[in-house]
Order: sequence, then C-alpha cells, then structure tokens
Amino acid sequence: MTLLDISELTLDLPNGKRLLDGISLTVAEGETVGLVGESGSGKSLTARSVLGLLPSRATMGGSVQLLDQSVLDASRRQLLELRRTRASMIFQDPRAGINPMRTVGDHLTETMRLCEGRSAADARAVAISLMEAVRLPRPEEHLHQYPHELSGGMLQRVMIAGALTSSPRLLICDEPTTALDVTTQAEIIGVLAEQRASRGMGMLFITHDLNLAAAICDRVYVMSAGRVEEQGDARQVFRNPQAAYTKRLVAATPTIVVRDSSTPTDAGTDAAASTNPDAAVGASTGGAASASSTVAVPATEPMLSATGISKTYTRRGKEPVHAVIDASIEIPRGGALGVVGESGSGKSTFARMIVGLEQADAGDIRIAGRERTSVPSSRVERLEHARSVQMVFQDPYLSLDPRITAGKAIEDAMRLHRRLSTTDARERVLELLEQVGLGDVHAQARPRTLSGGQRQRVALARALAIEPDVLVMDEATSALDVSVQAQVLSLVEEIRRERGLTVLFISHDLAVVRRLCDETVVMKTGAIVERGRTIELLGNPQHPYTRLLIDSVPRPEWNLDAVAAEASELEDPVAQN
Amino acid sequence: MTTPTMAMKVLRSPRARRSSTTFLISAVFLGAVTIAAIFASFLAPYPPNQVDLLNIQAGPSPAHWLGTDALGRDTLSRMMYGARTALLAPLLVVVFSTIVGILLGLLAGWRGGWIDSVLGRIFDVIFAFPALLLAIMAVALFGKGLVAPVVAMSIAYAPFVARLTRSLIASERSRPYVAAYRVQGFGGGFIALRRVLPNVMPIVGAQSTLNFGYVLAELAALSFLGLGVQAPTADWGAMVNEAQSGLIGGYFLPALVPAVAIVLVVVAVNVIGEELSDRIGGEIPA
Repeated sequence: MTLLDISELTLDLPNGKRLLDGISLTVAEGETVGLVGESGSGKSLTARSVLGLLPSRATMGGSVQLLDQSVLDASRRQLLELRRTRASMIFQDPRAGINPMRTVGDHLTETMRLCEGRSAADARAVAISLMEAVRLPRPEEHLHQYPHELSGGMLQRVMIAGALTSSPRLLICDEPTTALDVTTQAEIIGVLAEQRASRGMGMLFITHDLNLAAAICDRVYVMSAGRVEEQGDARQVFRNPQAAYTKRLVAATPTIVVRDSSTPTDAGTDAAASTNPDAAVGASTGGAASASSTVAVPATEPMLSATGISKTYTRRGKEPVHAVIDASIEIPRGGALGVVGESGSGKSTFARMIVGLEQADAGDIRIAGRERTSVPSSRVERLEHARSVQMVFQDPYLSLDPRITAGKAIEDAMRLHRRLSTTDARERVLELLEQVGLGDVHAQARPRTLSGGQRQRVALARALAIEPDVLVMDEATSALDVSVQAQVLSLVEEIRRERGLTVLFISHDLAVVRRLCDETVVMKTGAIVERGRTIELLGNPQHPYTRLLIDSVPRPEWNLDAVAAEASELEDPVAQN
Repeated sequence: MTTPTMAMKVLRSPRARRSSTTFLISAVFLGAVTIAAIFASFLAPYPPNQVDLLNIQAGPSPAHWLGTDALGRDTLSRMMYGARTALLAPLLVVVFSTIVGILLGLLAGWRGGWIDSVLGRIFDVIFAFPALLLAIMAVALFGKGLVAPVVAMSIAYAPFVARLTRSLIASERSRPYVAAYRVQGFGGGFIALRRVLPNVMPIVGAQSTLNFGYVLAELAALSFLGLGVQAPTADWGAMVNEAQSGLIGGYFLPALVPAVAIVLVVVAVNVIGEELSDRIGGEIPA
C-alpha cells in the first residue's frame, strides 16, 4: 500500500527561482526509499514538503499525498493532525534539534501528554519502552538528563525515540547520521532498520552518502538541482547507473573496498609509487607496531618525524583529558600518511601540535631535519615554522577570512615570506589559482561568493603559496560534496606528483585516506593503535578497533551476497576528474 | 558536517523586509538637523543672542516661526545654533569612547587571561556609576563647560564598547581563519589589528551609533541642570532650563521646542542604529 505519493512537485520562490522541478516519488509501507543527492539538490526541501515544513513565500505545484490526506492544500489543523499521527521526521543534527534547556524525558513525553492526553506516568512508561527500543543503555536515568550530558549518537537515538512516540506510518530521516562517527552511524542505522521492520513503517531516507543509501535502501531516487535524475532499485542504480549525473556521483564516491593490492589502479597509489619508490612504512617508534613495520627505514632522514608526542588538557575540577598519548609518526620525503580516527581521537590536536598551534607536553617534532616542537614565538621562528609546514583546515566556510578576497589572501601569505613586487606577486597568485583550477575572476571574489569546493581550493593555494615542506590536511574534504571532494583529492594527488609534496592527511573517512595515502595510522582516544601500508591495513586489519572501523563503513554489499570483486566494477568509471 | 544546505538557506532567508520608511525619515531628519547646525550662521534668521524687546515670549509669527523666549530671542535661531553643541558633544563622546573601548576590548579579548579579568573588573566598577553622576563629578572637579562632561562621558561609555568588542574578538579569535593566519606565520598583532578588528568593526560601529542617542539625552540633562555649556551660548538642554520660569505664565513653547527636538533626535538616532545593526546582523553567515 502506498504511504506517500509525491507527483510533479514544484517549488518556486518569489524571485522566480525554481528549487524543485517536477519531483515524483512514492514510498510504500515497510519500504525504505533513499533520496540521494549533493547539497543544493533539493532533497531536504522535498522531504520537508511532506510535513508541510516549507518556506512561507514559496509557491507550490503538483501534489503530495500522504495516505488519504493531500498535504499541499491541507489546513493548519489537518497539517497538525498529520504530523501527530502519520509522519515524523528525524533531523541531521540532534544537538540542534532537541531543546537544550529541557530534559530528555520532557522531550519524549511532552507530545504524548499534549497530543494524546496521556497521563504523566503513562507517557513516562511509553518513553522508557521506546528508549529501550532504540537501545539507549539506561532509560530511567536518561529521562532526567539534559541533552548536553549525552553523546551525539545517544541524542540521535533520543530523537528517533521522540519521532516514534506518535507511532508514525512514515518516518522521514534527513541525513540522520551525517554528524556522527562511522561506528555510531552503523549502530543508528541498525536501530532504524529494526524499528522499520518491527513497525512496518515506510521510511524516506535522505543522504548524500551513496554507499549508505545503497546499503540500506530498497529503492533510491537520485536528485540533482531540483530534479530526479534517476530512480530504481538501489543495487541496480549504483551498480549500473544510467543517468550521466549518477555515473559521475558513483565514480566520485571513494570506497574502502580493497582489490588485489599488487595492481593498484587508482591515481593515488600510482602517484605515490612514481614519486617515491621507497615510500616504506613509516618506521614506528613506540605505540603498537603492526607486523608490516619490519620494512627497513629509508636511509635518508624522514621529512616529518614526530616522536613520543603527548598532550594533556587539565580542567579545573575535572579529570584531565589525555588528548594525545605517546604518538609517533614518520613520513618520508614525498610520502603521504593518513591519520584516521573518530571524533575525540586526538587526531586534530596532533595536527595542531605539528603546525605549531599548540605546544606538545612531551615529545619531539622534526621537519626536514629541523626542530619544530615548540610553538614559534619570535618573528623569525614563526616564518621558519610556516615554511616547514602548512595546513588546510576542515571547514572552508570558516578558514578563510570573510573580508579578504581570494587573491589577496594568497598574495598576503606569499609576500609575508618573500620579497616580491606587486606585479610579480599578482602573477604568482594567478599561477597558483590556475594550478588549483581557479581563474582570474576568483582572485577578486570574497569567500562568501565562492562555493565550498572553490574555497577549499583557495585554502590549498594559500598553503602552497608559502611552498612548505609538509602539508597537513585536517579533514580537508569532509565538508565537501562527494563530487567536489573527488576533484579536490585528485588536485592534491596531482600537486603531490608535481611538487613531491609531503602530506599528512587527517580524516575520519577510511575511503578518502585509502585514495590518497601510502601509509595510514589509526588513532583511538589519543593513542595510535595500528599503522601500516594503507592497502594492507584495510585488507588485513590487526587491531580490533581498526576492524570495527572498517566493518562500520557502509558498503552496498552489506546485506547482499556481493563480493569485493563485484564491487570493484562499481569503481571502474573512475577515470574522469 | 553541518554546512548550510539549500533548505536551510531558504528557510532562514529574512522575511519580507519591513518598509524602511521610518529609517529614511530618521536619516533625512538627522541630516537636516546636522545641516542646520553646520550652516547656522547662514540659515538662522537672527543671531542667537539678538534681543527683540518688542516680542518677548511671543507665539509663532512670520517674523519668529517658533516664537521668542523670555528675553525676546528667536527660538528657531537659538535651536539652530544650539544644535551645534547638542550634536558635537555626543559625537566627540562617541568617537572617544569608541576608540578607547575598542583598544581596551581588543586587549582584553585577544590576550585573555589576567588582563581580561582585571579589565573586566574595572569595567564593572565604571558600570556601577551612572554616566551622569560621573559627568557631574567631573564638572565639580574641573569646572563647568563642555570639556569636562565630554571627557567624563567618554570614560563612562567606553566600557559598553569595550565589552562588546571583547566578546566579539574573543569569539572571533577561536575561529579557524585566525588559526590559518597563525599557521601562515603572521604575528598576533597583525592578525588582531589588521584582520580581526576590521571584521568586528561594523557591529561595534552600530552599537556606538546607538550610544550617540543616549549621550545626547544625558548631556542635555546635564546642561538643563546648568552644568554644561554656559549662558549665553545656545544649547537645547539649557534652553529648556531657561524657559522653565515661563511655563507658569503659560509660555510653554520656548521649553517645548528644544525638548521635542531632543526626543526626536534621540529617536532618529536609535532608529538608524537599530537598522544598521539589523542589516549587519543579517550578513553574518548562519
């Protein structure tokens, strides 16, 4: 039976912009339907239209039928009724979606008491059973806790429990796991799948992650720029995409699937092999050494070596936090090392110590043979440290000064380190911008007018302008759409190849690290738990945590009988970019 | 990662802009008062202190549009000359308090630590004194006139600016773009003064604009008490004071005109200040 039937939905803004253009989709009972697309594709707007959560000035066209109720011309009262009994929604960021001043118990019981007129005790009992259903560890205790006392994953469970209080027939999930770690994501997806099965709900699942959609959805709709580009059986769409857009999207999605490691096919490994034939495993000192660390240390001194780095934050009246514990890495000249870990693993603190933003409590950092442990204080030290190592930050929306144009940002960085005439500097800026795939027009643009990918290119050009020995990239692609991420990654590969740049790449995403890095270390709660060649590490993880990380990554063959060989077909059209 | 998606942008876009007619009227009014003040010597129909003994406390007439006061001086002319001190003094206070406040706020917000704590407590102490009281104290110590109250009010208003600047700078300091500048090798002074400060200036400027109105009202009160500009110089607050005695006799116009002018200018400045901070606030990315 069809729960939701959207046909020819259009949404126009008063300024004549058409945000949704003829969307048609259906969700049947007990079915999970994926809505996949990049930011700005209109997938969230489509989902919100089901609950009537729309911009007030928009003009709608087409129809949205939820069971027997037409949503677009529903009265206010009918809309309320529909939200109370038929459909609920789970939002991306649980911390923003739950009132921080009320307890979890209030959040869960309020709707039951107000909408269904249940007694407080009754509502409480239902809340506890729902919290058990979403596998929250201590429901009784959580009732009296405030959102800030719970982790992101637990809060998302609270949000799911809250959405289930009304026993909805249709559950709309808007990127419910995007803000979460990969292991937490796997748990949340498990809870959602279980609830859907036991309640026979329909589920509309919005995500930008193709692998995730392919892993859990029965059917998917691929959206781009307000249109449905392709639809059909999830496996079919991803294995054999028909629309050009879907093909590009599938190709751009990085995967952790390991094929025969002796024939590396992707550009990343090629690049590494050509620039650095002796890119051996960074010799490990301290920490847990994996079997593969027996490979001999290259004769030349490593470009970056950090030995026994520790950092502890002491907080008044609280337990001290050991952010980084005795971490050691080495990267040979021209090598690329990935540091993988979940939030709170200390990987960013580690990066900040290497670039000189924070002082390590213990340990020794050397870059190109020079001591770079301490935070630089004098002007000379600052400049020298900056020439040793540069960093590209996670969020290009925040790491560029909003007032400074792209060209000026690069020029400033360049002229700080070298005497250049204005005209020479301008010329170099344009060269650099060209190198990162931008042009003349972008030099004059302020960050506000640039897209996320363009901003990250500017940040990259700015870092390269200083011509550092080592480039640290801290989650540098995680805020970007997959297709943009793929472009930025191939850009970094190209620059590595051309300049022999040494890269330290920090990420939560194993697939991205696999694409770019020769070697990888895995961090957990401040310590390095495993290290080795990326391919070996992914193919044959030794530490249980590494195994958990790898198993948590959604793979289309999760619930299918597909094997890795088959999955590799998915990736064949990679050639572009 | 929570990057703003299209849905959020559409939902957050400001509601249909309320008509800014009040803003326009305020700006035009304030502009007119300013021009009248600057060109008073050309525009005023009479010199401010010219006595017309035949028309004492006269009502509005073609010769004296707003009537005359108890000494037969033309109210309109005195209003125009009086606008000079009424506008200049608050302007000076706003300029001085903004400069001092920004410097202290920058120091407290950027350096943090004990400097921040010490400055914070000093601000608390200054906040404890009403600005008017400080100005009266300054007058008692340094004599009547314009200088002492302006200096005192500048000190009294600097903490408002400093607090705002401090909190803006402190939140800006933790942003990745500042870390990016550090990694590039820029020094702290350069980042703070040349990069971060200009980013917070629009908000501080809007706040200072609002201060203008409050200062104007307080200075008018001061000269109403006879502690500001001294007779025979025309000043709005002093004019209200001088016209007091006439009120009993039913001659309310000489007191009403300057009083209404003070209210209107303060309202106009507030409307403009609010609008400015709204516009700037609207530009801050979500």
